[in-house]
Amino acid sequence: MPKPCEPASWPVWPELPVATSAPLVSERLCGDLQQPISALAWSADGEFLAIASAGGELLLLDFLAGCEELLRGDRDSSLDVVGFSSDGQFLMAAGQDGELLLWELGGTGVRPLAMDPIPLGGGWIDAAAWQPGGLLLAVATGRELRLWDGASRQWRQPPLELPGTIQALAWSADGVQLAASCHGELVLWQPCLSTPADPPLRNPMASAGLALAFSGPGHHLACGMLDRSLLVWPQGCHGQPWQFSGFPAKVRQLAWSEQPGRLAPLLASAAAEAVILWTQVKQGSKAWQPEPLVWHEKRVNALAFAPGSTLLASASSDGSVALWDGKGRMLQPLEGQGCGFNALAWRPDGRHLAAGDANGRWWLWPVAVPPRERQRQRAGAGFRSRA
Amino acid sequence: MAFSSPVPAAERLPVTVLTGYLGAGKTTLLNRILTHEHGLKVAVIVNEFGEVGIDNQLVVDADEEIFEMNNGCICCTVRGDLIRIIGNLMKRRDRFDHLVIETTGLADPAPVIQTFFVDEDLRDELRLDAVVTLVDLKHVELHWDTEEVQEQLAFADVLVLNKADLVSDADRDAIERRVRAINPMARLLTSRNADVPIQELLGVGAFELERALSLDPDFLVGEHAHEHDDAVGSLALVEERPMDLEKLGRWLSDLVAERGPDLFRMKGIIQLQGEARRYVFQSVHMLLDGDFDRSWKVAEPRRTEFVIIGRDLDAEALRASFLACVA
Repeated sequence: MPKPCEPASWPVWPELPVATSAPLVSERLCGDLQQPISALAWSADGEFLAIASAGGELLLLDFLAGCEELLRGDRDSSLDVVGFSSDGQFLMAAGQDGELLLWELGGTGVRPLAMDPIPLGGGWIDAAAWQPGGLLLAVATGRELRLWDGASRQWRQPPLELPGTIQALAWSADGVQLAASCHGELVLWQPCLSTPADPPLRNPMASAGLALAFSGPGHHLACGMLDRSLLVWPQGCHGQPWQFSGFPAKVRQLAWSEQPGRLAPLLASAAAEAVILWTQVKQGSKAWQPEPLVWHEKRVNALAFAPGSTLLASASSDGSVALWDGKGRMLQPLEGQGCGFNALAWRPDGRHLAAGDANGRWWLWPVAVPPRERQRQRAGAGFRSRA
Repeated sequence: MAFSSPVPAAERLPVTVLTGYLGAGKTTLLNRILTHEHGLKVAVIVNEFGEVGIDNQLVVDADEEIFEMNNGCICCTVRGDLIRIIGNLMKRRDRFDHLVIETTGLADPAPVIQTFFVDEDLRDELRLDAVVTLVDLKHVELHWDTEEVQEQLAFADVLVLNKADLVSDADRDAIERRVRAINPMARLLTSRNADVPIQELLGVGAFELERALSLDPDFLVGEHAHEHDDAVGSLALVEERPMDLEKLGRWLSDLVAERGPDLFRMKGIIQLQGEARRYVFQSVHMLLDGDFDRSWKVAEPRRTEFVIIGRDLDAEALRASFLACVA
């Protein structure tokens, strides 16, 4: 059974008084892989951090045991997606080889057991995600959306066919809905409920959806588009989406805050170097107010809200990670070693931020979240509190 | 729409697009590129039905999926999966020096070319080096009238006339003349078994504006016999009198607005009124790019040379509207 979400191997950080001048980050941990870091993922209990590289390395850090294990070495073939099942039983990784790699985890201090790689034959895999609160793993292989069931250790049949190569996929926070996008279509699927009478919902789109994200509270769906626009479906994904256009570039990164807002929670988008924080201020057509976050000089490659908070981290090719409050004020820039940052992942405790850079270095910063950015109440904190 | 990038060319990764009809020898050529010692680490993107028999981590599959953007505007038609795959590959940029993209024998080269100018990431991280088209000397006449063959010839910067050992010299000359009528700007190479010096194919810089035009000198002499009007053909325009940039610009933008889908490539070196520098120009369908280049040299003839490759070209009307741009 997964452990409750509590920092076990880390000292409890003192609660800082509200003072934006005080540094949030006091010390850091880092290490190096041979190739650029491509993906990072924490286990739900925050005890494991998996780090993948563009050379196919996969490093597993076990914080409770205080050890690390290189599950795969550099093999000149990229891994691009990595993730833990929500119960912590499995670790998956996939990439250039088109194979699904799975490990069974036996808990802290226990060596992960590698399962046989599963060739999927759909080319380079860069989108895969575990079901929150469940054991289904969604994998995009070319134009097919496939589901591996960790309970039966079998593939569910048949896969869902899309009209184009799948660009992005996302689970809703309750693990019920699965969204996938390609050029021309967004599919909403409820794989655990679907019967022939209940087919996946296919929404035609004018362009390609490159990024998908469900909000925890409110169950909104946002889709970042190649045609420099952003679509946001209202609560429950029913009805017509809001469309935001005029972005300087394709909208490639999205993140929702887990903290409930007065209406929708906060949404962050990134297009080229431009990060925008979106607040829903009313119902109706002109419902959303944008707040540009001006700092990055090059493309923003990752966005992540601290769990349960409105504290936002953005990572850029300009070699910095920036921390922002829920009003769009810059709290602190974190500098790396001069090369661009590719990936970000908050530890589920919301107090540690992991990042990976283009030189293969991973970073781990302790972050003291200012009290006002913390969740107002613990209830309704999304899937993590339910795990 | 201009198609240059703010990022200097030297900082961007060169890309060669390899086209050619089925059986022209693309796979043989790719295997040569991958196995020969030429000091370049080459990554290759093949289509999913490709047959590159080499197990190499730098050979990657991509779906030949076409994205039509802006309501099907032809210049915004790009190869979507190429954007995704190259995005992934560029994280590994220090592992290779050059990228080669193989298209299927039946593919239109235009969307591949346009992807590198229309997509913001690709435009700033890569630069199109050249379109290389393999021609099967033995069989090309069988497929001559197919749209794919005509487009592949029309878009080429380098034309490799392959299987020269399988045809007579007379046959080869005849095909060469037909190829030249469609594309007078491409460099012509002749090969057996796709054996061409790699340096003739990679690092050509054909899309660099300053190398915008290298016409076959024979082509500029005299008129060209067109085969028939709806076929793909070319037109070379030469003018000794200086031109007016404003008139020329207006003519070109009107021309691509009206005829863009039929205009495959244009290239030109323009002599402008009252200007010591050359103006160089190129286009792919509706994507236009032009800029001032070096000054005219004392010894070189100051004149405007302009080549249009396209479908259903009305030579007389084009020549008249071109001449109306004389200053």
